[in-house]
Amino acid sequence: MRFAHHQVVLDARPDIGWMEVHTENYMGGGTPIRYLDMIRRDMPISLHGVGLSLGSADGIDPAHLERIREVADRIEPGLMSEHIAWNVVDGDYLADLLPLPMTEEALEVVCRHVDQTQNYLKRRILVENPSTYVAFGCSIIPEWEFMAAVAIRTGCGILCDVNNICVSAHNHGWDASAYLAALPVDLVGEIHLAGHSIRSLTDGSTLRIDDHGSEVSAEVWTLYREALARFGAVPTLIEWDNDVPPLDVLLREAATAASFIAGNDERPIHADAA
Amino acid sequence: MPTLREVQDAMRQSLVRGDSAAISAMLAARIAPDRLDIYRNTFLLTLTRALRLSFPAVQRLVGDAFFECAAQIFIADHPPRAAWLDAYGGAFPEFLRDFAPARSVPYLSDVATLEWAVSTALHAPDAAPLDPNLLAAIATADQGLIRLIVAPSLSLLDLAYPADVIWQAVLSGDDEALGSVDPASGRVRLLVERRRTGVDVERLDGDAWTFLSRLCAGEPIEEAIDLDSDLDVSSVLAAHLSGGRFAGFELVSPPAGTQQ
Repeated sequence: MRFAHHQVVLDARPDIGWMEVHTENYMGGGTPIRYLDMIRRDMPISLHGVGLSLGSADGIDPAHLERIREVADRIEPGLMSEHIAWNVVDGDYLADLLPLPMTEEALEVVCRHVDQTQNYLKRRILVENPSTYVAFGCSIIPEWEFMAAVAIRTGCGILCDVNNICVSAHNHGWDASAYLAALPVDLVGEIHLAGHSIRSLTDGSTLRIDDHGSEVSAEVWTLYREALARFGAVPTLIEWDNDVPPLDVLLREAATAASFIAGNDERPIHADAA
Repeated sequence: MPTLREVQDAMRQSLVRGDSAAISAMLAARIAPDRLDIYRNTFLLTLTRALRLSFPAVQRLVGDAFFECAAQIFIADHPPRAAWLDAYGGAFPEFLRDFAPARSVPYLSDVATLEWAVSTALHAPDAAPLDPNLLAAIATADQGLIRLIVAPSLSLLDLAYPADVIWQAVLSGDDEALGSVDPASGRVRLLVERRRTGVDVERLDGDAWTFLSRLCAGEPIEEAIDLDSDLDVSSVLAAHLSGGRFAGFELVSPPAGTQQ
Protein backbone atom coordinates (compact mmCIF):
# COMPACT_ATOMS: atom_id res chain seq x y z
CA MET A 1 0.00 0.00 0.00
CA ARG A 2 1.24 3.49 -0.87
CA PHE A 3 0.06 6.89 0.39
CA ALA A 4 -2.24 7.40 -2.64
CA HIS A 5 -4.34 4.49 -1.35
CA HIS A 6 -4.75 5.58 2.27
CA GLN A 7 -8.12 7.27 1.98
CA VAL A 8 -9.55 4.92 -0.65
CA VAL A 9 -8.65 1.90 1.49
CA LEU A 10 -10.36 3.45 4.51
CA ASP A 11 -13.43 4.37 2.45
CA ALA A 12 -13.74 1.16 0.41
CA ARG A 13 -12.50 -1.36 3.01
CA PRO A 14 -11.50 -3.82 0.29
CA ASP A 15 -12.03 -7.48 1.02
CA ILE A 16 -8.42 -8.54 1.28
CA GLY A 17 -6.73 -10.44 4.04
CA TRP A 18 -3.90 -8.07 4.88
CA MET A 19 -1.68 -5.32 3.54
CA GLU A 20 2.02 -4.66 3.41
CA VAL A 21 3.81 -1.31 3.64
CA HIS A 22 7.40 -0.14 3.62
CA THR A 23 8.36 0.39 7.25
CA GLU A 24 10.46 3.43 6.31
CA ASN A 25 7.40 5.29 4.97
CA TYR A 26 5.80 5.28 8.44
CA MET A 27 8.72 6.43 10.56
CA GLY A 28 8.22 9.64 12.51
CA GLY A 29 4.79 11.00 13.38
CA GLY A 30 2.01 12.87 11.63
CA THR A 31 -0.43 11.76 8.98
CA PRO A 32 1.09 8.56 7.49
CA ILE A 33 1.28 6.60 10.73
CA ARG A 34 -2.14 7.91 11.77
CA TYR A 35 -3.63 6.47 8.57
CA LEU A 36 -1.83 3.19 9.17
CA ASP A 37 -3.22 3.08 12.72
CA MET A 38 -6.72 3.39 11.30
CA ILE A 39 -6.22 0.81 8.55
CA ARG A 40 -4.65 -1.52 11.09
CA ARG A 41 -7.99 -1.64 12.91
CA ASP A 42 -9.53 -3.32 9.85
CA MET A 43 -6.80 -5.72 8.78
CA PRO A 44 -3.38 -7.07 9.71
CA ILE A 45 -0.36 -5.17 8.41
CA SER A 46 2.96 -6.59 7.27
CA LEU A 47 5.98 -4.29 7.73
CA HIS A 48 8.50 -4.65 4.94
CA GLY A 49 11.77 -2.81 5.55
CA VAL A 50 14.23 -1.64 2.91
CA GLY A 51 16.82 0.20 4.96
CA LEU A 52 18.22 -2.07 7.65
CA SER A 53 21.11 -3.23 5.47
CA LEU A 54 21.49 -6.72 6.93
CA GLY A 55 24.57 -7.23 4.76
CA SER A 56 26.60 -4.17 5.86
CA ALA A 57 30.16 -5.05 6.81
CA ASP A 58 30.08 -2.09 9.24
CA GLY A 59 27.13 -3.42 11.24
CA ILE A 60 23.53 -2.26 11.25
CA ASP A 61 22.52 1.22 12.39
CA PRO A 62 21.05 0.99 15.91
CA ALA A 63 19.10 4.22 15.33
CA HIS A 64 17.41 2.65 12.30
CA LEU A 65 16.64 -0.51 14.18
CA GLU A 66 15.04 1.61 16.90
CA ARG A 67 12.91 3.49 14.34
CA ILE A 68 11.71 0.12 13.03
CA ARG A 69 10.87 -0.99 16.57
CA GLU A 70 8.83 2.17 17.15
CA VAL A 71 6.71 1.50 14.05
CA ALA A 72 6.33 -2.17 15.01
CA ASP A 73 5.30 -1.35 18.58
CA ARG A 74 2.60 0.97 17.31
CA ILE A 75 1.29 -1.20 14.46
CA GLU A 76 1.80 -4.70 15.90
CA PRO A 77 2.41 -6.22 12.48
CA GLY A 78 1.43 -9.75 11.50
CA LEU A 79 4.73 -10.17 9.65
CA MET A 80 8.00 -8.26 9.44
CA SER A 81 10.55 -8.65 6.69
CA GLU A 82 13.83 -7.33 5.33
CA HIS A 83 16.18 -8.13 2.44
CA ILE A 84 19.27 -10.15 1.76
CA ALA A 85 21.08 -7.06 0.54
CA TRP A 86 22.99 -4.06 1.83
CA ASN A 87 22.86 -0.29 1.39
CA VAL A 88 24.94 1.36 4.11
CA VAL A 89 28.70 1.74 4.11
CA ASP A 90 30.56 4.03 6.50
CA GLY A 91 27.24 5.64 7.45
CA ASP A 92 26.32 6.57 3.86
CA TYR A 93 22.90 5.22 2.84
CA LEU A 94 22.96 4.21 -0.82
CA ALA A 95 19.17 4.10 -1.26
CA ASP A 96 18.91 0.79 -3.12
CA LEU A 97 18.99 -2.93 -2.31
CA LEU A 98 22.53 -3.72 -3.36
CA PRO A 99 23.91 -7.18 -4.16
CA LEU A 100 26.12 -9.04 -1.73
CA PRO A 101 29.08 -11.16 -2.74
CA MET A 102 27.94 -14.70 -1.95
CA THR A 103 30.81 -15.52 0.43
CA GLU A 104 31.21 -17.14 3.85
CA GLU A 105 32.09 -13.70 5.25
CA ALA A 106 28.85 -12.16 3.90
CA LEU A 107 26.84 -15.12 5.18
CA GLU A 108 28.27 -14.68 8.68
CA VAL A 109 27.63 -10.94 8.61
CA VAL A 110 24.00 -11.39 7.52
CA CYS A 111 23.36 -14.10 10.12
CA ARG A 112 24.83 -11.93 12.88
CA HIS A 113 22.57 -9.04 11.88
CA VAL A 114 19.45 -11.18 11.57
CA ASP A 115 20.15 -12.48 15.10
CA GLN A 116 20.67 -8.92 16.35
CA THR A 117 17.44 -7.74 14.69
CA GLN A 118 15.30 -10.61 15.97
CA ASN A 119 16.67 -10.16 19.48
CA TYR A 120 16.08 -6.41 19.44
CA LEU A 121 12.57 -6.58 17.98
CA LYS A 122 11.73 -9.72 19.96
CA ARG A 123 10.16 -11.09 16.80
CA ARG A 124 10.97 -13.47 14.03
CA ILE A 125 11.59 -11.75 10.72
CA LEU A 126 11.46 -12.99 7.14
CA VAL A 127 14.31 -12.26 4.73
CA GLU A 128 13.67 -11.74 1.04
CA ASN A 129 15.77 -13.09 -1.81
CA PRO A 130 17.13 -10.18 -3.90
CA SER A 131 16.87 -9.30 -7.57
CA THR A 132 20.39 -8.71 -8.87
CA TYR A 133 22.00 -7.42 -12.05
CA VAL A 134 25.65 -8.17 -11.31
CA ALA A 135 27.58 -11.02 -9.70
CA PHE A 136 30.97 -10.93 -8.04
CA GLY A 137 34.06 -12.94 -8.94
CA CYS A 138 34.54 -13.88 -5.29
CA SER A 139 31.04 -15.41 -4.91
CA ILE A 140 31.22 -19.10 -4.08
CA ILE A 141 27.82 -19.87 -2.51
CA PRO A 142 24.78 -20.27 -4.79
CA GLU A 143 22.17 -17.69 -3.76
CA TRP A 144 19.53 -20.34 -2.95
CA GLU A 145 21.97 -22.06 -0.57
CA PHE A 146 22.79 -18.67 0.98
CA MET A 147 19.07 -18.01 1.58
CA ALA A 148 18.51 -21.43 3.11
CA ALA A 149 21.62 -21.13 5.31
CA VAL A 150 20.53 -17.75 6.74
CA ALA A 151 17.10 -19.15 7.65
CA ILE A 152 18.45 -22.38 9.12
CA ARG A 153 21.22 -20.72 11.14
CA THR A 154 19.14 -17.85 12.57
CA GLY A 155 15.63 -19.29 12.73
CA CYS A 156 14.25 -16.51 10.55
CA GLY A 157 11.81 -17.23 7.74
CA ILE A 158 12.15 -16.73 4.01
CA LEU A 159 10.14 -14.26 2.00
CA CYS A 160 10.24 -15.93 -1.40
CA ASP A 161 10.04 -13.25 -4.09
CA VAL A 162 9.06 -15.24 -7.16
CA ASN A 163 9.55 -12.27 -9.47
CA ASN A 164 13.07 -11.73 -8.11
CA ILE A 165 13.89 -15.38 -8.78
CA CYS A 166 12.60 -15.00 -12.34
CA VAL A 167 14.62 -11.77 -12.84
CA SER A 168 17.86 -13.05 -11.31
CA ALA A 169 17.61 -16.44 -13.02
CA HIS A 170 17.39 -14.70 -16.38
CA ASN A 171 20.17 -12.24 -15.54
CA HIS A 172 22.58 -14.91 -14.33
CA GLY A 173 21.54 -17.97 -16.33
CA TRP A 174 20.11 -19.90 -13.38
CA ASP A 175 17.27 -22.43 -13.42
CA ALA A 176 14.37 -20.68 -11.62
CA SER A 177 12.57 -23.95 -10.82
CA ALA A 178 15.73 -25.42 -9.29
CA TYR A 179 16.06 -22.25 -7.14
CA LEU A 180 12.54 -22.80 -5.76
CA ALA A 181 13.23 -26.47 -5.19
CA ALA A 182 16.30 -25.62 -3.08
CA LEU A 183 14.39 -23.47 -0.56
CA PRO A 184 13.35 -25.31 2.62
CA VAL A 185 9.57 -25.87 2.43
CA ASP A 186 8.79 -25.10 6.07
CA LEU A 187 10.72 -21.85 6.20
CA VAL A 188 8.94 -19.91 3.45
CA GLY A 189 6.48 -17.61 5.26
CA GLU A 190 5.45 -15.21 2.50
CA ILE A 191 5.57 -14.85 -1.27
CA HIS A 192 6.02 -11.67 -3.31
CA LEU A 193 4.88 -11.24 -6.89
CA ALA A 194 5.55 -8.20 -9.09
CA GLY A 195 6.04 -6.97 -12.62
CA HIS A 196 9.43 -6.45 -14.19
CA SER A 197 10.76 -4.88 -17.38
CA ILE A 198 13.33 -6.01 -19.93
CA ARG A 199 16.22 -3.83 -21.08
CA SER A 200 18.73 -4.40 -23.89
CA LEU A 201 22.40 -4.00 -23.11
CA THR A 202 25.14 -2.79 -25.45
CA ASP A 203 26.45 -6.34 -25.94
CA GLY A 204 23.07 -7.39 -27.36
CA SER A 205 22.00 -9.34 -24.26
CA THR A 206 18.93 -8.46 -22.24
CA LEU A 207 18.62 -7.67 -18.59
CA ARG A 208 15.45 -8.05 -16.56
CA ILE A 209 14.79 -5.16 -14.22
CA ASP A 210 12.73 -5.63 -11.07
CA ASP A 211 10.84 -2.33 -11.22
CA HIS A 212 7.43 -3.15 -9.67
CA GLY A 213 5.85 -0.99 -12.36
CA SER A 214 3.53 -3.30 -14.29
CA GLU A 215 1.37 -6.40 -14.14
CA VAL A 216 2.80 -9.76 -13.10
CA SER A 217 4.12 -11.58 -16.20
CA ALA A 218 2.82 -14.94 -17.43
CA GLU A 219 6.20 -16.48 -16.67
CA VAL A 220 6.05 -15.32 -13.05
CA TRP A 221 2.47 -16.63 -12.66
CA THR A 222 3.69 -20.04 -13.86
CA LEU A 223 6.58 -19.98 -11.42
CA TYR A 224 4.16 -18.88 -8.69
CA ARG A 225 2.06 -22.02 -9.24
CA GLU A 226 5.22 -24.08 -8.82
CA ALA A 227 5.94 -22.21 -5.61
CA LEU A 228 2.42 -22.83 -4.28
CA ALA A 229 2.72 -26.52 -5.11
CA ARG A 230 5.92 -26.64 -3.09
CA PHE A 231 5.25 -24.27 -0.18
CA GLY A 232 1.47 -24.56 0.19
CA ALA A 233 -0.94 -21.67 0.61
CA VAL A 234 1.58 -19.04 1.71
CA PRO A 235 0.38 -15.41 2.16
CA THR A 236 1.08 -13.69 -1.13
CA LEU A 237 1.62 -10.03 -1.90
CA ILE A 238 1.50 -8.17 -5.21
CA GLU A 239 4.16 -5.44 -5.21
CA TRP A 240 3.41 -2.51 -7.50
CA ASP A 241 5.01 0.69 -6.26
CA ASN A 242 6.19 2.45 -9.42
CA ASP A 243 3.56 4.04 -11.66
CA VAL A 244 1.15 2.95 -8.95
CA PRO A 245 -2.20 2.03 -10.55
CA PRO A 246 -5.68 2.61 -9.10
CA LEU A 247 -6.60 0.27 -6.26
CA ASP A 248 -8.98 -1.83 -8.41
CA VAL A 249 -6.15 -2.85 -10.78
CA LEU A 250 -4.18 -4.08 -7.76
CA LEU A 251 -7.20 -5.89 -6.39
CA ARG A 252 -7.61 -7.68 -9.74
CA GLU A 253 -4.01 -8.91 -9.56
CA ALA A 254 -4.60 -10.00 -5.98
CA ALA A 255 -7.73 -11.88 -7.06
CA THR A 256 -5.70 -13.78 -9.67
CA ALA A 257 -3.22 -14.85 -7.01
CA ALA A 258 -6.10 -15.81 -4.72
CA SER A 259 -7.61 -18.01 -7.43
CA PHE A 260 -4.31 -19.88 -7.82
CA ILE A 261 -4.13 -20.33 -4.06
CA ALA A 262 -7.72 -21.57 -3.97
CA GLY A 263 -6.93 -24.10 -6.68
CA ASN A 264 -4.04 -25.29 -4.62
CA ASP A 265 -5.57 -25.32 -1.20
CA GLU A 266 -9.12 -25.09 0.09
CA ARG A 267 -8.29 -22.40 2.61
CA PRO A 268 -9.07 -18.94 1.13
CA ILE A 269 -5.94 -17.03 2.05
CA HIS A 270 -6.24 -13.69 0.31
CA ALA A 271 -3.51 -12.09 -1.65
CA ASP A 272 -3.18 -8.42 -1.41
CA ALA A 273 -1.93 -5.18 -2.81
CA ALA A 274 1.40 -3.39 -2.30
CA MET B 1 39.70 -11.93 -2.76
CA PRO B 2 38.17 -8.61 -1.69
CA THR B 3 36.58 -8.36 1.74
CA LEU B 4 32.92 -7.48 2.09
CA ARG B 5 33.90 -3.99 3.20
CA GLU B 6 36.12 -3.56 0.13
CA VAL B 7 33.26 -4.57 -2.16
CA GLN B 8 30.96 -2.11 -0.40
CA ASP B 9 33.49 0.74 -0.59
CA ALA B 10 34.01 0.07 -4.28
CA MET B 11 30.25 0.05 -4.89
CA ARG B 12 29.87 3.36 -3.05
CA GLN B 13 32.62 4.85 -5.21
CA SER B 14 30.63 3.78 -8.28
CA LEU B 15 27.25 5.04 -7.06
CA VAL B 16 28.24 8.27 -5.36
CA ARG B 17 31.24 9.32 -7.44
CA GLY B 18 30.45 7.60 -10.73
CA ASP B 19 33.84 5.88 -10.62
CA SER B 20 33.30 2.19 -11.36
CA ALA B 21 36.91 1.10 -11.90
CA ALA B 22 37.30 -0.71 -8.57
CA ILE B 23 33.90 -2.40 -8.55
CA SER B 24 34.18 -3.45 -12.21
CA ALA B 25 37.36 -5.35 -11.37
CA MET B 26 35.44 -7.30 -8.71
CA LEU B 27 32.63 -8.49 -11.00
CA ALA B 28 32.42 -12.05 -12.28
CA ALA B 29 34.11 -12.35 -15.68
CA ARG B 30 30.86 -12.82 -17.59
CA ILE B 31 29.23 -9.67 -16.21
CA ALA B 32 29.33 -6.64 -18.52
CA PRO B 33 30.22 -3.57 -16.42
CA ASP B 34 27.39 -1.54 -18.00
CA ARG B 35 25.04 -3.54 -15.78
CA LEU B 36 26.33 -1.31 -12.98
CA ASP B 37 24.49 1.60 -14.63
CA ILE B 38 21.22 0.15 -13.32
CA TYR B 39 22.41 0.70 -9.74
CA ARG B 40 23.82 4.15 -10.42
CA ASN B 41 20.57 5.23 -12.10
CA THR B 42 18.43 3.90 -9.25
CA PHE B 43 20.62 5.62 -6.67
CA LEU B 44 20.38 9.01 -8.40
CA LEU B 45 16.69 8.68 -9.30
CA THR B 46 15.66 7.66 -5.80
CA LEU B 47 17.50 10.48 -4.09
CA THR B 48 16.49 13.09 -6.67
CA ARG B 49 12.88 12.01 -6.17
CA ALA B 50 13.30 12.35 -2.39
CA LEU B 51 14.60 15.90 -2.83
CA ARG B 52 11.78 16.74 -5.26
CA LEU B 53 9.23 15.61 -2.68
CA SER B 54 10.74 17.82 0.01
CA PHE B 55 11.50 20.85 -2.21
CA PRO B 56 8.60 21.17 -4.69
CA ALA B 57 8.64 24.99 -4.77
CA VAL B 58 12.40 25.08 -5.38
CA GLN B 59 11.88 22.70 -8.27
CA ARG B 60 9.16 24.86 -9.81
CA LEU B 61 11.23 28.02 -9.38
CA VAL B 62 14.26 26.65 -11.24
CA GLY B 63 12.64 24.08 -13.56
CA ASP B 64 13.12 20.31 -13.87
CA ALA B 65 16.44 20.27 -15.70
CA PHE B 66 18.15 22.75 -13.38
CA PHE B 67 16.77 20.98 -10.30
CA GLU B 68 17.99 17.60 -11.47
CA CYS B 69 21.46 18.94 -12.21
CA ALA B 70 21.70 20.69 -8.81
CA ALA B 71 20.36 17.58 -7.07
CA GLN B 72 22.96 15.32 -8.67
CA ILE B 73 25.83 17.57 -7.60
CA PHE B 74 24.35 17.78 -4.10
CA ILE B 75 23.85 14.00 -3.86
CA ALA B 76 27.50 13.32 -4.75
CA ASP B 77 28.64 15.64 -1.94
CA HIS B 78 25.96 14.76 0.59
CA PRO B 79 24.77 11.16 0.33
CA PRO B 80 22.12 10.41 2.97
CA ARG B 81 23.34 9.53 6.46
CA ALA B 82 20.25 7.53 7.45
CA ALA B 83 18.11 4.93 5.73
CA TRP B 84 15.14 7.22 6.19
CA LEU B 85 14.67 9.40 3.15
CA ASP B 86 12.14 11.70 4.82
CA ALA B 87 15.15 12.94 6.78
CA TYR B 88 17.23 13.54 3.64
CA GLY B 89 17.95 17.01 2.34
CA GLY B 90 18.62 19.12 5.44
CA ALA B 91 21.84 20.40 3.86
CA PHE B 92 20.20 21.27 0.52
CA PRO B 93 19.23 24.88 1.43
CA GLU B 94 22.81 25.65 2.47
CA PHE B 95 24.11 23.96 -0.69
CA LEU B 96 21.81 26.16 -2.82
CA ARG B 97 23.05 29.28 -1.03
CA ASP B 98 26.56 28.56 -2.27
CA PHE B 99 25.56 27.11 -5.66
CA ALA B 100 26.87 29.65 -8.17
CA PRO B 101 24.43 28.83 -11.02
CA ALA B 102 21.53 29.63 -8.64
CA ARG B 103 22.76 33.14 -7.83
CA SER B 104 20.25 34.78 -10.17
CA VAL B 105 17.50 33.56 -7.81
CA PRO B 106 18.77 35.11 -4.57
CA TYR B 107 15.76 33.96 -2.51
CA LEU B 108 16.03 30.30 -3.63
CA SER B 109 17.91 29.16 -0.55
CA ASP B 110 15.40 30.86 1.77
CA VAL B 111 12.51 29.11 0.01
CA ALA B 112 14.43 25.83 0.42
CA THR B 113 14.95 26.57 4.13
CA LEU B 114 11.20 27.07 4.53
CA GLU B 115 10.42 23.87 2.60
CA TRP B 116 12.83 21.92 4.77
CA ALA B 117 11.12 23.24 7.91
CA VAL B 118 7.76 22.22 6.45
CA SER B 119 9.05 18.76 5.57
CA THR B 120 10.60 18.34 9.03
CA ALA B 121 7.30 19.39 10.62
CA LEU B 122 5.39 16.86 8.51
CA HIS B 123 7.56 13.97 9.67
CA ALA B 124 8.40 15.03 13.23
CA PRO B 125 7.53 12.54 15.97
CA ASP B 126 4.10 12.82 17.57
CA ALA B 127 4.20 14.43 21.00
CA ALA B 128 1.43 15.17 23.47
CA PRO B 129 1.18 18.91 24.25
CA LEU B 130 2.21 20.10 27.68
CA ASP B 131 -0.77 20.44 29.99
CA PRO B 132 -0.63 24.05 31.33
CA ASN B 133 -2.06 22.82 34.65
CA LEU B 134 1.21 21.00 35.28
CA LEU B 135 3.02 24.33 35.06
CA ALA B 136 0.53 26.01 37.36
CA ALA B 137 1.22 23.30 39.94
CA ILE B 138 4.88 24.34 40.29
CA ALA B 139 5.58 26.25 43.48
CA THR B 140 5.70 30.00 42.89
CA ALA B 141 9.30 30.18 44.12
CA ASP B 142 10.37 27.69 41.48
CA GLN B 143 8.43 29.17 38.58
CA GLY B 144 11.40 31.17 37.45
CA LEU B 145 13.35 27.95 36.96
CA ILE B 146 10.95 26.48 34.42
CA ARG B 147 12.52 25.70 31.07
CA LEU B 148 10.08 24.62 28.34
CA ILE B 149 10.69 21.79 25.89
CA VAL B 150 9.58 22.74 22.41
CA ALA B 151 7.24 20.51 20.37
CA PRO B 152 9.27 18.44 17.90
CA SER B 153 7.51 19.78 14.79
CA LEU B 154 8.11 23.45 15.55
CA SER B 155 10.81 25.57 13.98
CA LEU B 156 11.51 29.27 13.83
CA LEU B 157 13.05 30.84 10.76
CA ASP B 158 14.65 34.23 10.27
CA LEU B 159 14.94 34.79 6.52
CA ALA B 160 16.23 37.68 4.44
CA TYR B 161 13.54 37.26 1.76
CA PRO B 162 9.74 36.88 1.97
CA ALA B 163 10.01 33.14 1.35
CA ASP B 164 6.53 32.44 2.75
CA VAL B 165 4.62 34.41 0.12
CA ILE B 166 6.92 33.18 -2.68
CA TRP B 167 6.44 29.57 -1.52
CA GLN B 168 2.67 29.94 -1.34
CA ALA B 169 2.40 31.61 -4.74
CA VAL B 170 4.64 29.01 -6.42
CA LEU B 171 2.84 26.00 -4.97
CA SER B 172 -0.61 27.33 -5.74
CA GLY B 173 0.52 28.13 -9.29
CA ASP B 174 -0.56 31.72 -8.78
CA ASP B 175 1.62 33.62 -11.26
CA GLU B 176 -0.09 36.90 -10.49
CA ALA B 177 0.70 36.60 -6.79
CA LEU B 178 4.24 35.56 -7.59
CA GLY B 179 4.62 38.52 -9.93
CA SER B 180 3.49 40.92 -7.25
CA VAL B 181 5.97 39.70 -4.63
CA ASP B 182 8.72 42.18 -3.96
CA PRO B 183 11.73 40.03 -3.09
CA ALA B 184 13.42 43.10 -1.66
CA SER B 185 10.56 43.71 0.80
CA GLY B 186 12.86 42.50 3.52
CA ARG B 187 13.40 40.09 6.34
CA VAL B 188 10.64 37.76 7.57
CA ARG B 189 10.44 35.79 10.78
CA LEU B 190 8.40 32.62 10.54
CA LEU B 191 6.91 30.02 12.82
CA VAL B 192 6.46 26.59 11.18
CA GLU B 193 4.59 23.85 13.01
CA ARG B 194 2.41 20.82 12.42
CA ARG B 195 -1.15 21.14 13.56
CA ARG B 196 -3.87 18.52 13.39
CA THR B 197 -4.96 19.83 10.00
CA GLY B 198 -1.52 20.12 8.41
CA VAL B 199 1.60 22.25 8.53
CA ASP B 200 1.12 25.93 9.35
CA VAL B 201 3.47 28.74 8.39
CA GLU B 202 2.88 31.94 10.30
CA ARG B 203 4.66 35.30 10.23
CA LEU B 204 5.64 36.69 13.63
CA ASP B 205 6.73 40.20 14.44
CA GLY B 206 10.23 40.72 15.76
CA ASP B 207 9.48 40.72 19.49
CA ALA B 208 7.12 37.74 19.36
CA TRP B 209 9.69 35.78 17.34
CA THR B 210 12.51 36.66 19.73
CA PHE B 211 10.45 35.67 22.77
CA LEU B 212 9.47 32.32 21.30
CA SER B 213 12.96 31.58 20.03
CA ARG B 214 14.36 32.24 23.51
CA LEU B 215 11.85 29.83 25.00
CA CYS B 216 12.66 27.26 22.31
CA ALA B 217 16.37 27.68 22.99
CA GLY B 218 15.70 26.53 26.56
CA GLU B 219 16.00 29.85 28.36
CA PRO B 220 14.09 29.77 31.66
CA ILE B 221 10.76 31.52 31.25
CA GLU B 222 11.79 34.23 33.70
CA GLU B 223 14.80 35.21 31.56
CA ALA B 224 12.97 34.87 28.26
CA ILE B 225 10.22 37.27 29.30
CA ASP B 226 12.79 39.93 30.13
CA LEU B 227 12.29 41.67 26.78
CA ASP B 228 12.69 45.36 26.22
CA SER B 229 9.32 45.46 24.52
CA ASP B 230 5.66 46.18 25.06
CA LEU B 231 4.79 42.60 24.09
CA ASP B 232 2.18 41.18 26.46
CA VAL B 233 4.33 38.16 27.30
CA SER B 234 1.92 36.41 29.64
CA SER B 235 -0.93 36.30 27.13
CA VAL B 236 1.51 35.35 24.34
CA LEU B 237 2.89 32.55 26.49
CA ALA B 238 -0.64 31.37 27.29
CA ALA B 239 -1.40 31.27 23.56
CA HIS B 240 1.73 29.19 22.89
CA LEU B 241 0.75 26.74 25.62
CA SER B 242 -2.83 26.38 24.46
CA GLY B 243 -1.55 26.03 20.89
CA GLY B 244 0.41 22.97 21.97
CA ARG B 245 3.78 24.47 21.06
CA PHE B 246 5.51 22.86 24.02
CA ALA B 247 5.76 19.19 24.82
CA GLY B 248 7.09 19.34 28.36
CA PHE B 249 9.26 21.26 30.79
CA GLU B 250 12.10 20.83 33.20
CA LEU B 251 13.35 22.79 36.16
CA VAL B 252 16.73 24.43 35.82
CA SER B 253 19.02 23.76 38.77
CA PRO B 254 19.24 26.91 40.85
CA PRO B 255 22.63 28.66 40.88
CA ALA B 256 25.16 27.10 43.26
CA GLY B 257 24.97 28.36 46.83
CA THR B 258 21.29 29.18 46.81
CA GLN B 259 18.99 27.46 49.26
CA GLN B 260 16.07 25.40 47.99
